[in-house]
Amino acid sequence: MGNSISKALGRLFGSKEMKILMLGLDKAGKTTILYKLKLNKIKTATPTVGFNVETVNYKNVKFNMWDVGGQQRLRPLWRHYFPATTALIFVIDSSDRDRMKEAKEELYSIIGEKEMEKVVLLVWANKQDLKDAMKPQEVSNFLELEQNLKNQPWCVIGSNALSGQGLVEGLSWISNSADAPKK
Amino acid sequence: MSHPHSHSIYLSEAPVRRPQAMGNSLLRKIQRACRMSLAEPDLGLNLDIADYINEKQGAAPRDAAITLAKLINNRESHVAIFALSLLDVLVKNCGYPFHLQISRKEFLNELVKRFPGHPPLRYSKIQRLILTAIEEWYQTICKHSSYKNDMAYIRDMHRLLKYKGYAFPKISDSDLAVLKPSNQLKTASEIQKEQEVAQAAKLEELIRRGKPEDLREANKLMKIMAGFKEDNAVQAKQAISNELNKLKRKADLLNEMLESNDLQNWDNETTQELQGSLRSAQPKFQKIIEEEQEDDTLVQDILKFNDTVNQLLEKFNLLKSGESNAASQIHPSHVSAPLQQSSGALTNEINLIDFNDLDDVPSQGNNTNAAGTSAEVETFANDLLGDLTDLSISNTPSGNQTAFGLGGDIVLGSSQPAPPVTTTINSNNNLDLLGLSSPQPTTNNQSLNSKEFDILAGFSTTPSTVATPSNFARTLVNESSNLRIEFEIIRESDSVLRIKTFFTNLTSSPISNLVFLLAVPKSMALKLQPQSGSFMAAGAKDGITQEGIIENALINSSKSLKVKWKATYSVNSTPADETAVFTLPNV
Repeated sequence: MGNSISKALGRLFGSKEMKILMLGLDKAGKTTILYKLKLNKIKTATPTVGFNVETVNYKNVKFNMWDVGGQQRLRPLWRHYFPATTALIFVIDSSDRDRMKEAKEELYSIIGEKEMEKVVLLVWANKQDLKDAMKPQEVSNFLELEQNLKNQPWCVIGSNALSGQGLVEGLSWISNSADAPKK
Repeated sequence: MSHPHSHSIYLSEAPVRRPQAMGNSLLRKIQRACRMSLAEPDLGLNLDIADYINEKQGAAPRDAAITLAKLINNRESHVAIFALSLLDVLVKNCGYPFHLQISRKEFLNELVKRFPGHPPLRYSKIQRLILTAIEEWYQTICKHSSYKNDMAYIRDMHRLLKYKGYAFPKISDSDLAVLKPSNQLKTASEIQKEQEVAQAAKLEELIRRGKPEDLREANKLMKIMAGFKEDNAVQAKQAISNELNKLKRKADLLNEMLESNDLQNWDNETTQELQGSLRSAQPKFQKIIEEEQEDDTLVQDILKFNDTVNQLLEKFNLLKSGESNAASQIHPSHVSAPLQQSSGALTNEINLIDFNDLDDVPSQGNNTNAAGTSAEVETFANDLLGDLTDLSISNTPSGNQTAFGLGGDIVLGSSQPAPPVTTTINSNNNLDLLGLSSPQPTTNNQSLNSKEFDILAGFSTTPSTVATPSNFARTLVNESSNLRIEFEIIRESDSVLRIKTFFTNLTSSPISNLVFLLAVPKSMALKLQPQSGSFMAAGAKDGITQEGIIENALINSSKSLKVKWKATYSVNSTPADETAVFTLPNV
């Protein structure tokens, strides 16, 4: 399969680097995920006004992870972070059923942008530890990615930023699905 | 744990695509604009590229700059020249987002890649063009841009080249003007839009650079951009206010310069520039008022200011067309001063003259006061000048009686009542446009007198000076079968003459609507007091008087002083006019 070849090439030529853009509504857990991955610690995150960027190394891949604040008034600025993005991680608070529709709309407005229409999409159905959280399958059905995304690889993975569940799997999926940009 | 769905996708045959660095169409366009087969730069295509970049934003300015830097170093000098020509167009048309790109260190380094460490004896054409470009940027965006701090590397490169011994060509003012800030009044939404574009360009550039200090700045910028839209609105309002104040200072300055009676110096670059910037600001007034409707203070302020601008522009135009005396009737208020400030002293001044044509007088005041003023001035001037010279205010052919009659259109066209004294007496038709054959309503004049912009008081028939018997000798100016006009000329000083005019009714009918107009040579200034009246009973001796001052009428002048006068009046309901040039005796 094509992916294993590129993976092999990636290994062969040393580490690859990719820009990961992590977006999602406010309070979805983006910043918590970022620092769990980076420091393996739970940083009590206050709402991000602006953005955080950290480099996370996983296997041979250097992930430049951009975590951009998800408050309403920051969302119009997301597009400035689109250029050169390899993968989009969209983080969803699976327990916040009320805002699931809002999340879906934001997601589609991002991937509707020309710059983003080809990127690899990972959805982290976060906060799986909460008992009324929607399961990844439910989230996936709700987002209707299967019907709507034909030309880009996508994946919904359940996650729990506190325990770290699903995080490594997500990065692993990305590194397998995406080609590093040719230099 | 992967969701089952992911596997189906994970295993799918869907091609994995890389994010595209940019739309290739921009590159294609640039390459087409710089292709060797061109005979000369394709300006149309170049502008098209500028539009494209402005529309796309994002990475487009950067991609264009990088591509051009490479093309400028192309071995084919043709290609390089076309690339420099396109670069010039983009710098001039794509604004800050592009300026940010040409002030990148990498770009500048690439730009001068082929410059030897020591300047050659003769610069190649390309080198000359590059030096010209850098000098131009140095003189303009590095100095005037609101974001000049972001242009530091251009300054550095300029300094470096200079240090190495490179000489920069002199840039013509007209070339510099293109890149100087327009300094135009903008509406809040325009300012905000501009801010947003610039901030977005900066944010993307900072994100692209990605160094820790860039990211810190990006974070700060993002906070400004996101959270604080209101701040931007406040800033925009502040910017409007600042720009208005600047314009007001310009208005005052222009006012002073035009006021200064320095007839040699009124027309120069400064006044041209001042009036230009006032003129170009006017369309914005309307827009700002539309946008800021709820801000009553601002709206009122702008309306008032607009009136002043109208007057200034009119005055300027009058001066330009040689109507220096007519112009000196107009006394725009100093914008910063309270409006009542300059009334009184000016109300009685009236100088009329210079029988040149008088077209393109702006009279589109928003405010009744200003509109009235300019309309009245036109009317008056028209009456005086109508049969003396080709005169067309409404762009109708004139120079004959019919055309003169058309002058009445101005009166009708303007929503203001024209001053009563400007009846079209000499038009010899039965159109008494103003329907005024009765004594003047003085209330009108009184109310006008209290207004600062009143320049009509001079025509007022309100008796403001009492005709006193004079001990001085009189000079006969003219005597027709109807009217005798006499001057009493008194020299007040070496340069000032006082003239008192006496009118005597020689008929056995009353004379009404008498208007007397006087003109002096351009080098002098005439200030006429209002006539003592406009109505004379049958046979009234000295029934009407009028005083005036001629300034700058030097005592030892070799030339005798000539004045042009014109009297219009009605007798037996028949309009009449008399006019002639009169040579004053030496006093």
